[in-house]
Order: sequence, then structure tokens, then C-alpha cells
Amino acid sequence: MNQAEVITQLQTIFDAVFLEPVVLTPAISAKDVPEWDSLMHISLMVSVEKAFNVRFRVGEVENAKNVGEFVNLIIKRQLEP
Amino acid sequence: MNHGPLKELLLQHRPEFWAQLQALTRSARDFEELFFLSSLRKKAHARELSPMKPPPAKLRLAMLGGYSLYPLREFIEHLCEVESLPIELWQGDYDNYVSEIMDDGNELHAFAPQVVFLLPAERRCVYTGKLTDPRSLAQTAAQHVVDSLLELTQKAHEKTGAEIITTNFMLPARHDLGAFRARTLGSDWSFRKWVNLELGLAAPPYLHICDWEFLAHRLGGLAACDERSWFESKQPGSPALLVALAREAAQLILALRRAPKKVLVLDLDNTLWGGVVADDGLEGIELGDTSPRGEAFKAFQKYIASLKQRGVLLAVCSKNDLARAAEPFEKHPDMVLKMEDFVCFQANWEPKSENLRAMASELNLGLDSLVFVDDNPAEIEIVRQFVPEVTTILLGPNPSDYVAQLADCRLFEPRSITGEDAERTSQYRSAAQRQALEASVTDMAAYLETLQMEAIITEFTPVDVPRLSQLINKSNQFNLTTRRRSEAEVIAVMNAPEEIGFSVRLKDRFGDHGLISIVVGTHAGETLQIDTWLMSCRVLKRGVEAEVLNELVRLAKVLNCQRLLGTFLPTPKNEMVRDFYGQMGFTLTIESEMKREFELRLENFQPIPTKIKIARRAYEHWHG
Repeated sequence: MNQAEVITQLQTIFDAVFLEPVVLTPAISAKDVPEWDSLMHISLMVSVEKAFNVRFRVGEVENAKNVGEFVNLIIKRQLEP
Repeated sequence: MNHGPLKELLLQHRPEFWAQLQALTRSARDFEELFFLSSLRKKAHARELSPMKPPPAKLRLAMLGGYSLYPLREFIEHLCEVESLPIELWQGDYDNYVSEIMDDGNELHAFAPQVVFLLPAERRCVYTGKLTDPRSLAQTAAQHVVDSLLELTQKAHEKTGAEIITTNFMLPARHDLGAFRARTLGSDWSFRKWVNLELGLAAPPYLHICDWEFLAHRLGGLAACDERSWFESKQPGSPALLVALAREAAQLILALRRAPKKVLVLDLDNTLWGGVVADDGLEGIELGDTSPRGEAFKAFQKYIASLKQRGVLLAVCSKNDLARAAEPFEKHPDMVLKMEDFVCFQANWEPKSENLRAMASELNLGLDSLVFVDDNPAEIEIVRQFVPEVTTILLGPNPSDYVAQLADCRLFEPRSITGEDAERTSQYRSAAQRQALEASVTDMAAYLETLQMEAIITEFTPVDVPRLSQLINKSNQFNLTTRRRSEAEVIAVMNAPEEIGFSVRLKDRFGDHGLISIVVGTHAGETLQIDTWLMSCRVLKRGVEAEVLNELVRLAKVLNCQRLLGTFLPTPKNEMVRDFYGQMGFTLTIESEMKREFELRLENFQPIPTKIKIARRAYEHWHG
């Protein structure tokens, strides 16, 4: 999957979960979205892992500074055997 | 997972959204799915798509423990709310549960929870000595863990009056220690098993175990644990385990307020045996140890017999000629179930929906007490459409799965098995015999005389608490106010000086009906207000109502009251008692759509004569 494809699929997950519509771009991050707090984040990550069939390593999601870096992380973990 | 149609209902602001949300929530098994459904529910609230009018009262739930409680708490809120029990939640701080319970005058107590859900930290359920220590040392340590938890939950109960739910402890799923783990009580494996066992066996009635050990076992130990989510956000376990814990907790919370189902209604052909008895003949049906399919059907019958043993009533609803349907019960050597195991046997060609209605009225039970089991999707559909109050179970194509389907249906779970549960089939059977007698006796008074009824009236006693709470929570039809009470709330009535509560037991020459009527009253000054008056419909028109009123008036006079006040709160099910107070001689004082209030002045009241002998009265130690 390329970055645009991953963002499109992420967008459907966000649309299902957030009350206020969020338009995902590589530059956007959790602090730009009031509903995207640390609690919401936990459930969101479970859904993302399931949807993309990936498993992140401990602590690495929080190192992603914005959606663009997070998308790169998803792609990187997808390429793993 | 496709929630397009559900989202569409929400966008169009359609109230059907809620029924659809409930159906999808009931079948949802994955974390993501539940999370999406819960998010949609919150969106619906944000858009003010209101679920029900009037909204049901919220249940105050306190959650506390040695874990992060989100997203667990959101799932519990969601699961309860879609079952019409919205939650007002108070959440403890992470790992602060001991002081939250022990300290006086803090937030937990101010919140006054009705239910407390505690998740004690697994990391404190370990043996800190050596693996080679003598068994007695480890056992003392394990007993200490049990005692501390029992003490903590007792404190929580005493200070708040709440029902308490606690998790027990998950067993490790790693190979560590190898075979030695089973040879010492010092291993986490053995230590926690021992603690869980003792905790469950020693739990008092107000304490309910959310059995984490069992839930993880059911899911698979490895699938239940998730070390990463502990390091990252102090989660109790894997996403799948969170769903299982939330479902179990919601089940326990809902069960505190709701009655289990009473009657299991069974189809015959391809349900209790393989084949069609009218076509294949008695010799042709598959049942018994001569074939694998026959064994599976026999095992299903044995399981059904075990449900009857627990107090579930059995009935038959089959499209058949009665004579052909009855034949296997009378003549087949491998039938486990016999005719006398059933309180009702309907084999005819009427629609099953009509038969179920007739059955409910014959047994004097609400349709929602029935669970209907059939292998035929068309029959299930007819019942779903025409008697939606009846819960249905469509058996799958494989008879070896039948037992599992019933064993996982969660509809017949006892909270505490009372002696009277096991007696119930004979009570209902003798009710049928009584109806036969009733038909033969024309003079009602003469008929009641022949019953030789005897009643025992007793104030609430500790030993009756489980039975009192059970009846208070399941009685719907003859119930003036339908106020539910947990065991803890029944005990609260016993302890409050301004409240009185009594129950009536009735027996006659056909059998013992057990505890069949309950009254709670509050007295202040010259008034005794009737808070709760309910009765089992099995004993309608026998004079019990009159004897209860006689007793109420007697107690009111002992308490120096001048009048009784009664309230009728309408529900979809208690129409039969709408005019009850009026029929008993009360005067209607206030009438509105929400309630009707009645008054009875005591000065001119004469006790109503009945055919019931009163062997004992309530509060016999009082003077009066």
C-alpha cells in the first residue's frame, strides 16, 4: 500500500469513530483533533492494527509526530514478513 | 463488518437506529466492532436521537481497580445502555482502589453507587516466598489474599450498600516452571487457582464474581494476555479479553435487575430426535447410542433434563398429531425426557405463535418468560414476527452443537439456586390439576374450601433474602409499583426502622407454592404508605390479596396509623392491577397517566373473610 491508499483507509476508520468530521492529511496530528485524546487513541490503535493487519512494537506509535509518520509506520510494519 | 445501514439510520434521524444498534451489539464479538458501535451510540446522543421516552433511570456504577479502566468502562456502559439500563459512572484513579474503599468520607461514598465493579491487581496475587517452601506457608499467604479481598469488598458493601462485583485472577499462560508449576502452591499458576477457588466458595450473597480465570480459559490463555498493552497503557489484557470482561460485567449488572427466563419450549422432530416421527415411525427416528446422530440427540435431552433439575420449566410446541408426538415419550427406550417432565405439551397444527400465546396464558406467565427452540428457520421467523416478546433459538444444522448452543445462550443462569426452584415443575403441574378441579366445581367458595389452603406470613428474614429479591425482580403482572430491589436493598428494608416488609407462603392440598407475595411499606405519623405489593399470578383469585390487606391493616393499627396509601405505577405488563386498590375498597385520590394513588381509612375497615388459614403472622414479637 502507498501513503495515499493508507490515508484513505484510515479516513474510513476515523469517520466511523469521531463525532466531528476529521479530514486526514500527512501534517495533521492528535493535538489538532480535540476528540483524539489519549484514551480514544488506545481504542483507535486496536482498530488500526486490525484493519491493516499489523502489530506495532511497544512504544513506537507514540514516536510518530503526525499522521504522515504514522502512515509510514503502518507501511513499514506491513512490509514485515 | 458493515455498518452502512446503521449509519444511514442515524443520519436520517430514525428511531429504528436503537433497535438495530441493540441487535448488532448483541452479535458483536470483536473489539473494533464494539468500539465502532459505541462511537455510533455517542454520535446518536450528540445528534439528540433519543432512545426511549421516558428514558429509564440510570444505574450508578462505580468502577475501580489496579488497571486502566478505559476502554473497558466504555464497553460496559455501551452494553448496559443498549439493554435499556443506562449507566452513571464513577471511576476510581489508577491502582488507588484500596484507599478509595477504606477511607471514609471520600468521593466513592458520596457517589452512593448501586453497583461497585472492582478489578483487584493481579500482580498482588503472587506468592513472595520460595517455590520450595512448605505447602502450609504458601497456603497461609493465599488465604491472606482471599481474606483481604473479602474484607475489602465487605467494606465497600457496608459503606455504600451496593452490590459488589469483583474479578478474580487470570492464570499465567506461559510454560515457565514447566511441570513443576503443578507441584507447588508457590507458582502463580497454583497460587491463583487456589485463591480463585476459595474466593468463589466463600463469597457472601452481595459479592458476585466476574470470573476472569474462566473468561481467559474460554478465550485461550495466550489470546487473553497482551504484555504490550500493559506496558503502554496498563490494560488488563488483550482487546479480546476486554470484550469478554465487559460482556461478563454487563451480564452480571443486568442480572441484578432482571429475572432469568422460566420456560424452555421445545420443538420435537429434528430437535429432540432425528427424523420426523410421523413419517419415519417410532423405529425410524434417530435417538440413542446406536448411531452418532442418535447419541447427539440423546445428549441434548440429557442436558435439557439437567436444566429442569435447576428449576427451568419445560414445554413442547410441535406441529404434529398429538398421538404420534406422544408415542416416543411413552414407548421409545432411549427417550430421556418423559411426558411428566413437561408443564405443557402442545402438538397440533395451529401456528406456533398462537400456541405460545396460549401456553403463556395457561401457565399465567408473561410471553417474555418463554424461550422457544426449533431447528426450522421458518417457525423461528413466525415466532419472531408475531410474538416478538418470546426469545428464540434457531438450532444449527449439526445436532452435536445443540447442547453448546443452549449452554451458551445465557438465558437460564441462576443467581443462587433456591430450594424452591427445583420444586417448580411440580407446583405448575399441580396448578394444572387444580384447574381441572376448578372446572368441576361450580361454587367458587366451595372450591376454595376444598383446597385446604394454609398461609404463613413472615416479616423479611435474612434466610429469605435471595428468594425475596428474586421474586421482586421477576414479578411483572401482579405488581403495583414494579420497584426492583437487589439483595442488599432488601436487607436495607429489614434494617430501616420506618420500613416494614413481609412475605406470604401458601400451601394447599395439591402442593406447596412457596413464597408467593411480598409487601413493603413505609410508615410516618398516621400514614402507612405501600411501597411495594406484588404477588405470583399462580395464586390469583384464591384470597391471598385479601389476607395481605388484612395483615397490612393489622400492622398499620399496631403502628398507630390511621390510613393506608397505595400507588399504582403503570407498566406494559401490570394492567391487571390497574383497579386493584379500588376493588379492595380504597378511594382514588390522584389520577394521572404516570400513576394512580389511593387511600384507605382504617377506622371502619372490617377484615375480609377468606378460605385461607393463617398459621403465622408477621412481626409476632410486636405488641398489638
